[in-house]
Formats: sequence, C-alpha cells, structure tokens
Amino acid sequence: MKDNKNHPYISELKEGVDKGQLSRREFLRKSVLLGMSIPVAYAMSGLAMSEMASAATPTRGGNLRVSMRVKEITDPALFEWSEPTNVCRHIIEPLVQNGSDGLARPHLLEKWEASDDLKTWTLHLRKSIKWSNGDDFNADDVIFNFNRWLDPATGSSMQSQLVMLTEEIDTGAKNDDGTPQKSRVASQGAVTRVDEHTVRLQLNTPNIAIPEALATYTALILHRDFKGNFQNNPVGTGAYSLSTIKTGVTAVLKRRTEGAYWGDAPYLDQITYVDLGDDPSAELAAFASDQIDYNYETSSDQVEAINAIPHVTLLKAATAGTGLARMNVTQKPFDDIRVRRALTLAVDNEKVLQVGLQGLGSVAENHHVSPMHPEYAPLPKLKRDIKKAKQLLAEAGYPDGIDLRIDCVASPAWESNTCLVIADQVREAGIRLKVNIMPGGAYWDVWSSTPFGLTNWAHRPLGIQVMNLAYRSGGPWNETGYANPVFDKLLDQASATLDVGERRKVMVKLEKILQDDAIIIQPFWMNSYGAANKRVQGLTHHLMHEHQFNKVWIVS
Amino acid sequence: MIRLITRRVGVMILTMLVVSIILFLALELNIDSVATKVLGPYSSDEQRQLWLEANGYNRPVFERYFSWAGSFIMGDFGESIRFRVPVADILWDRLGNTLILAAVTFGIMIPLSILLGVLSGMKEGSLMDRIISLICIITTSIPEFASAVFLSAIFVFSLKLLPGTSTMLTGFDPVQLILPAMVLVGYGFGYVARMTRASMAEVMSTHYIRTAVLKGLPYRQVITRHALRNALIAPFTIIMLQVNWLLSGVIVVEFAFAYKGFGALLLEASLNSDVYLIEACTMVAVCAAVLTQLIADIGYSYLNPRIRFS
Repeated sequence: MKDNKNHPYISELKEGVDKGQLSRREFLRKSVLLGMSIPVAYAMSGLAMSEMASAATPTRGGNLRVSMRVKEITDPALFEWSEPTNVCRHIIEPLVQNGSDGLARPHLLEKWEASDDLKTWTLHLRKSIKWSNGDDFNADDVIFNFNRWLDPATGSSMQSQLVMLTEEIDTGAKNDDGTPQKSRVASQGAVTRVDEHTVRLQLNTPNIAIPEALATYTALILHRDFKGNFQNNPVGTGAYSLSTIKTGVTAVLKRRTEGAYWGDAPYLDQITYVDLGDDPSAELAAFASDQIDYNYETSSDQVEAINAIPHVTLLKAATAGTGLARMNVTQKPFDDIRVRRALTLAVDNEKVLQVGLQGLGSVAENHHVSPMHPEYAPLPKLKRDIKKAKQLLAEAGYPDGIDLRIDCVASPAWESNTCLVIADQVREAGIRLKVNIMPGGAYWDVWSSTPFGLTNWAHRPLGIQVMNLAYRSGGPWNETGYANPVFDKLLDQASATLDVGERRKVMVKLEKILQDDAIIIQPFWMNSYGAANKRVQGLTHHLMHEHQFNKVWIVS
Repeated sequence: MIRLITRRVGVMILTMLVVSIILFLALELNIDSVATKVLGPYSSDEQRQLWLEANGYNRPVFERYFSWAGSFIMGDFGESIRFRVPVADILWDRLGNTLILAAVTFGIMIPLSILLGVLSGMKEGSLMDRIISLICIITTSIPEFASAVFLSAIFVFSLKLLPGTSTMLTGFDPVQLILPAMVLVGYGFGYVARMTRASMAEVMSTHYIRTAVLKGLPYRQVITRHALRNALIAPFTIIMLQVNWLLSGVIVVEFAFAYKGFGALLLEASLNSDVYLIEACTMVAVCAAVLTQLIADIGYSYLNPRIRFS
C-alpha cells in the first residue's frame, strides 16, 4: 500500500509489452485494474484513447426516449436482467463502472489499490457524495452492500462473483440424500471499515478481477437503510431520480436539482423508458414515426430494416455475448456423454452463424471463452463428423436415431432460428430435434432445469468470470448441472493466476474439458446492435447493454 | 320485462359461478404450482411451504374457493406476480384504455357497416351491392396482424402521417388511436355489413314491403320506417358479439401497436403465468360477455315484439 506509486506488477507488465509477450490492450486493462489512471495507462500502452472529445458542443435539456422492456424493480442485488439495472443505474450507482471500451473505471470510488500479493484490496470512496435524502455516502453504505451480497439469505449472484471473500460452512441441516448441507458465508474479516471513506477487502485467494466484479450489473450501491423494495424508497447517489415506474409500460427519470449530483451535471432533463412489448415491428414503427430515440437492442434480423430508416443510425459493438444450446447433464438422455458428443459433432458452427445469425458475429468453439477474453487460448478447429456422431448414437443405444426437444424463446428471432438450423444439421446424424418455441416468460421459468434449451448469455469481460458463474459445481447460474471436481480445481487455479500467459496455460485445459464433455453447442459470438435517432449525440452502444447517459445530449 | 331481466340476471350469475369454479380449479387446484409461480422457480421447498401456510392454501379446496370468490366480489383480486402490485391497480386502467379503443372502433364501425349493409341489401345484385360486397369480403379476409403491417407501411413508413405506436405516454393522444381503430374497423365492419345486407335483402323481398312500395310510399320512408327495424334483428346479435371480440380479441392489435390495453394485459398475464391476473382478466371478460348478452336480449324484445319472453 504505497501512495502515488504504481503497483510493482505494472513494470513487469510493461516489460511484457516491450518483449511482445503481452498485447497493448491487455496491458491497458491490467494496469487500470491495478489502480493506474486511465489516461496514464493509455499513454504507457501506446494506444490511442478512443473517447475523444466531440467537436460539437453539447446542449442541455431534452428527453431521451428509450425503448426497453420495463421490468419490476424490487431488489437490485437480485436482478437477473440488464433492463431493470438500466432503469436504476442513473439513480443508484456502482462503485466501478465498465466503460464502452470494456475497461473498468472507478465511479463511486476515487481509486482502488491492490496489495502486492493481490489478496488485500483497498477501496477509497469518493468524498462529499450525498444521497438524495441528504445523508453522506460513506463506508457504512459500502459495507452494508457487501454484507447483503455475501449473505446466502439474500440469494444474490454477487456472492459467486466475490467467492474469494467467502468460505464454505456446514449448516447443520442435511440434504435429501443425507449428505450435510453446505452454505457459503462471508469469511472472517473479509470486509472491514478502515475509516469513514475507506473499505478493505481481504481475499482468500489472489484475484485481479475485483474491480470487474464490482462493475457487474447486480452491484449497484444501495443506501444503508434499504429495506428490500427499491421502488418504495428510491434513495440514490445518481444524477436522476425516479419519477414514475409502471411495470410493462414506462419508467421516467428526472434530473435532480442543479448541483445535487456529485459529478458533472448531465445534459438530459429526462430519460423515459418505453415498453413496446415483444413485437420488433412496433419498435421499428416507433423509430420511423419518431416516438423513440434509442433502443435496448436491435436483433440481427432487424438490422436491414433499421438501415432503411433515414433518420436512424445503427450502432454496433462486438461482444462476448452468445447463445448456448446447452444440455443438462443430470437429465436423460443428456447424462450420456455419447449422446451429447453426437450432437456437438453433428453441428457445423460456421453454418449456424451464417444462417441463424446472418453472419453478424464470429464462430465459437463450444467452450464459452471468447477471443475477446484476455486469457483465451486457441484450440484445434472443430470439425463436423456425421459418421462419428451416428456411431456414438448407436453405441449409446440409439441405432435408429433419437427424438429430442430443444426449448427456446420466440423473441428475439435469432434464438429460434438458431435452434432450427441446429435441428436441420443434426437430422443428418439421425437426431430428430423438435424445436419448442416458448414465450419468454415461460422459457425463463425452466431455463435452468430444462433438459435441452437455448439460453442467451450476456457479455462478460473475463473467461474465468463466465466459468465461475456457469460451469462451477453448484454455481448459481449453472444451467447444465455440470459438476466436475477436476474442472473446479483448475478453475480455482486459473482465477488465482495473475500472469495472463500462465493463466492461459490453465485455460487451455479448462476449455478442452468443456469442449470434450460436450455440454454446450455454442455456435457463435454475437455482435450487439442498437439504433438511435441521429439527433442523439455522445451515445455509444455499450457491449454489455449498460445505459450510461450522463454524457448524452440531444441536438434540437 | 322485469321478469325477463331477473331471469336473465339469474342465468348470468349462474354462468359466472360455473366459470369461476372451473377457472379456480384449473389455476389453483395444484397449490405447489401456485407457490412456484408466485415465489419463482428458484424458491426453496421450505419457502413455498411457508408461503402456502401464510396465505391459507392448506385449507380444503371449497373453503379456499369461497374465500377467493368472496374477496373477488369485494374487488380484491390479489397481487399480480409479474407487476408486483394489486391486480385492481392495473386492471381498471388497462380496461379503460381498451374501452376507449373499443368505443372509437364501434362509433365508426357500426354506423358504417349498417349504412353499407342497408345500401347493398336494398337492391340485391345491383352494381352498388356488388362493389360493397367485394370490399367487405376483401377487408374481412385480411387478418389484423397483416393489415396492421400494411397500414403501418403506408401511413407510418411511406407517408409519415401517423405515429407507429400507441403508447399514450405523454397523455391521451387521439391521433395515436387512428391506426389501431383503422385495423379493427377494417376487420370488423365487413362482417356486420354482410349480415345486415343479408337480413335487409330478406326483408326487402317480403310482402309487406312490396305493399308499402305499391301503395306509393316514398322509397326512403319504406326503408327507414318499415324495413330497417326488422332487418336489424339479426345484425344486432352480431354487433353485440363484437363487444366481446373487441374486449379480448384486440390482443393482436394492442400487441402490434404497443397499446397498453386489456388484450395486451391478458397476453402478458398468460405468457408469464400470472395466476391472479389471469383470473381477474378472465372474469372481467366473462362478465362483459354475459352483460352484452343481457343487453342483446333486451334489445331483441324492443326490436321484435314477438320475442317478449312472457
């Protein structure tokens, strides 16, 4: 903990760049995570800063109308969607915010510091931030939120993001099969208050991704008096206040009074979220007749239609977001690895990308680690092998083929299209796959339990983040029921390995295990598209669908 | 007349009772599934049991039905699972929106279709009859989801005359009603017009009309005074049935134009297995159906003295 001094690891990183072992982008990301300020990091990396000041002068005022599903808002720590976070993000704020370049930036924090062993993290809170009810924002608020996240009773997905702050305990109760029931709680002294504006985190294992975990969309900081329903008492530090919310209809945010916000005053007077339902043509019509200015997402099959509206521009971001045709290994017949392998062998991912997604993305390799992730390691290219697939099916006891069903949602259309292409592909191997297109709500009731389903996964900055969420035994979003102690152990190792080259060596093994165990067909990585009226300035379509409108303005 | 109304009201109540029992058994007989829907798929067994106990779900099913029906009559429909507010808070709002749309649609559709039906039924086989019949058949055979797209393509995308969605966010805006009403009128008027035409044509061929014409009454008077009242009995049933259609059949139109009405609410409730909202919406729809039938019966006896149910 030395003030005004760079973390010792940064010089090592710089050396890596000079020797050509580390990419400039990776250097940038890591040095920022280690507490270096962003302009300095950009300068040292030799990369140009993309967020250049715009030539146009921003004007104040206006109402930004955004088309997005307006979902109910109760407890921000329990959000499972980016949509309710977006409504809240301008009212309550995160400690750390992901920029549109994917870099984590301190937000409610002034800065963070990591110890040399990366096990002690010190969070320095910004001073003189006031809550909208007049209270001072301080360490008690932050500790209150950490305690909620780590408490198993809350049930927040933040617990697994911050698993290095927790330990496993025996609850004393027994599971149905007689084994002792385990639970995770905050480890002793994991989160401590240093002073009014400083909080210290003590990790069990070294981890570099703490700032990124604190930028997750479930990590908005609530007031220390939060009572379980945000709508009832929407106290926040943000630049806007909640004016109206009607689930399924609209949410209106109004700018707080002049000078009430701690940061630069935003330009927009009002942000209005409009729920236009699930019909993409309603959104198109609303753009055409100038009823909305921006949307949450334009699905790939709408790209051409958006391009045809003259006063609207298409915004694009490459992402590590994806669609997984995932199999639940605890359910028949997917408990048989031969059936799963037959499925993955029968699918040509490139073809699914071209037909299901109109080629608006890049090919993936059935292991959920993207070339965008710093620790990505390339594996040999996947090959479609119908003969082998048939042979495996026969060995599994299905010499005459097998009847299967895959569940997916109706909207956006690429999800069902993808399933239809997969069904088309596997038919050649004797797999008769029925595509069961369900309404969104009905699918999300079964997403974690259905034997075979297509789930849409959002972008996350690190490969290990995804693996901890989705493939660790008993992980909160482990929808495949996958439980592999060898995998878990390697994942622990990868999460604690700082050197990206070293981490990649472990990652190769993890990727290979996932690919070989054939629990997911992952055909592609998707580009994310949004559309905006050309009047809207200063807007970047965020690769994680985060709405950050503090610097957005509307040309009148 | 009073006897008729009391009898009809009796039947009405009986119908609603039967529907409510079926509805209740279909949605709430399996209490575990109710608890899962309310608490979400990630809730633990223990949480579900606690919830069931706290909400009186461990009582016998008939006891539960009576307490449910009781609170229903008092206007307490329970709390919506999806919206997390009392059902009554959203239901009346949405119903009001749909009634506005329905009123506008009716206000245009009924006069238009009766006028066209009478004009074309007056002289069966005339050029006017053929033209009107052709238009009616074409418009009625285009489903709403198709005409919604066609009309949007013309008035929103090409001519840029009308707003593409009807969310009414900034307050009530009559311009936003034009497109949805157009689609509904287009789909509905041909049907009523054709029924009126058939009925009118039948009346026009009766002896008393021939007598009226032969005794030298002006043609206009023959139509308005003698033919019309009798010709309207059959279309009246159809018109009354259209009220039901407008209430729950507008789902497609409300979905296409993002109009926040009763149909869209029913759709959202069904898609999200929102038990209490489905119950309330269904009962409202049934109530509207039996009410319109009551009005239809009263209307009959006014239009046709032979039907007096004495």
